[in-house]
Amino acid sequence: MPQPKRKAAWIRLVEQNAGLVLSAVLLVIAIVLYCAIYYAAQGRLPGGFELTTTVNNTMPLVFAGAAQAIVVITGGIDLSVGGVIDLTNALAALYLGDSPLSMVLCTIGVIAVGGACGLLNGLLVAYGRLQPILVTLATLAIFQGLAIRVLPAPGGSVPEAYTAILANFEAPYSLVFIVVLLVVWALVRRTSIGVGIYAIGNDDLAAKSSGVKNLRSRVTAYVLSGMLAAVAGLFLVANATSGDPTTGNGYTLRSIVAVVLGGISLFGGRGTPISAVIGAFVSTMIVNILFFAQIDPLYQSFFEGVFLVVAVLLTAIISRLMRRRAVA
Amino acid sequence: MTILEPSTNEPPPASAVRGARLGVTPDQRRILYAIVAAILLFFIGGLIRPGFSSPSGIAAVLTVACFVGLVAAGQTFVILIGGIDLSVPWTLNAGAILMMSTAANSDARMPFALLVTLGMGALVGLCNGVGIAVFGVPAVVMTLAMNGVLEGLTLGLSGGLTCSSCAAYAPPLLQAAAHGTILGIPAILYLWLGVILLASFILSFTTFGRGTYAIGNGARASYLAGVNVTRTTIILYVISGAFSALAGIMILGFGGQAALGLGDPYLFQSIAAAVIGGVYILGGRGHYVGTVAGSISLVALVSVLMAMNMPEYGRSITYGVIILVLLLAYGRETAER
Repeated sequence: MPQPKRKAAWIRLVEQNAGLVLSAVLLVIAIVLYCAIYYAAQGRLPGGFELTTTVNNTMPLVFAGAAQAIVVITGGIDLSVGGVIDLTNALAALYLGDSPLSMVLCTIGVIAVGGACGLLNGLLVAYGRLQPILVTLATLAIFQGLAIRVLPAPGGSVPEAYTAILANFEAPYSLVFIVVLLVVWALVRRTSIGVGIYAIGNDDLAAKSSGVKNLRSRVTAYVLSGMLAAVAGLFLVANATSGDPTTGNGYTLRSIVAVVLGGISLFGGRGTPISAVIGAFVSTMIVNILFFAQIDPLYQSFFEGVFLVVAVLLTAIISRLMRRRAVA
Repeated sequence: MTILEPSTNEPPPASAVRGARLGVTPDQRRILYAIVAAILLFFIGGLIRPGFSSPSGIAAVLTVACFVGLVAAGQTFVILIGGIDLSVPWTLNAGAILMMSTAANSDARMPFALLVTLGMGALVGLCNGVGIAVFGVPAVVMTLAMNGVLEGLTLGLSGGLTCSSCAAYAPPLLQAAAHGTILGIPAILYLWLGVILLASFILSFTTFGRGTYAIGNGARASYLAGVNVTRTTIILYVISGAFSALAGIMILGFGGQAALGLGDPYLFQSIAAAVIGGVYILGGRGHYVGTVAGSISLVALVSVLMAMNMPEYGRSITYGVIILVLLLAYGRETAER
């Protein structure tokens, strides 16, 4: 049997990261479309101000999407992302002080609370042997309840300095935090736990027989997810400059949308949180496009739903075509 | 046809042997747990507040449970094949608003409005089913997207519920049907009983029901065994859509007017009711009878917590904790060997 000809390295790279490439293409299309519609409406191209507000508005979803992505890669789903955001948002609004020390301590504390929420999910899923969708459904109710206990009504305040760091209105400094996220993930990805997160998503039993620490990897994935959701809560509170114990609710579904638009398979084992970051920006761009196309905001979720289905269908069709070519 | 027998194509876990000694399968035991939980909750409720477990108190809980139970009927069907229907909230809400604006206060237009509303629910289900079964979109994504589509359409077409026909009330006949009693029992419960009998008949005594369980246990294997997987999947999502719309109609009749966000609580409640009733979230195991018991215990639980004057946050936390406890009691996967 003749050996199949080896493909060029870049083709293999594209094929291995089909989801990532597709979501990047989707983002480029969305940005071009946005610029065109913006130009038609305003007579000039969007500038620094638009970039800054877009980045600031997307940051919570960037981290919520990354939080969802890590759990989805293990083959699970995390419905409690919104609950963790609610809780951390409320805690931050209540306890953030004006001094730098207070800000640092509060930030660390809030992220630790997020990690603890994730730990609870992870322990119940891994050691309790429960389905992730059910565990996180139940913990969502618990975290939402705790959030309302902490901050019964919208309120609290965020020091201006804190907003200046996380959601600066002058320039899109927050992009730095995406770089930090990517660097941290690149490091985690190379540890045995990081390898385990992908392995258990592909095949739990095979991973175990290959010496992957299944339970530990799974719990770590949920803890990381909880911490990322907490960061999303911090960005949300910084951007709004006050707390709201229910504002995070929508982020459960939005984070799943970001993951799907990022081309991450909901069946697990594939994709990277980077795709979810791109997916988050795509979904913000969709909202921006609808706004400047002067579409009645009441129809917004209609178009979001349609875009979601179209994106998924396109991803499915293109990856099927690619696979057929790979076989041929 | 042993291959289509639900839950026999897995090695029985140790707990099954224990259950068999009592003459019940693990599936039946889960349903029993849910029924016992409901009875226990009525008992506790009666201790906390006299009148809670009086006939009228029970009827009140059952009426609310009926709404959850109707939505959960569709949810149970799609969960049995390993799917899920996240389009419940806005299908329900769109159903209520469509019923209200189409009937426009008039009893004469009610049959037409009923037809349109149930047809809308079925159409939503058809879109879900075709997307999932024909185009291979994951159920979570497809139904999530449909929920968005319906939310946008409902808000947009009704102008945020400000349209002229949106000021209508539910037709008097529908209100009477939702509030009326027959032989001292709320009329709405007869409807639910009919649904229970019908759903149980379909699941237990028809080839369609067998096919449903078969797909949940293994879509590929059931395809090879001759089950029309595509058709069954589409029909099940159509049923789920129609049940959501029906629940919307009944809630409209009960409340008199539709509101935005009416359907939001019913998504998680319908899933929770099915799971508490022993329906396996990955499909293939469970029965609507269990879901009914699950709906009743869920609503009874919330009512007990409200009778205890527990604030909202406490209810939410207790609700989550109790679902976790129930899951740990009988929702666990078998350990890996």
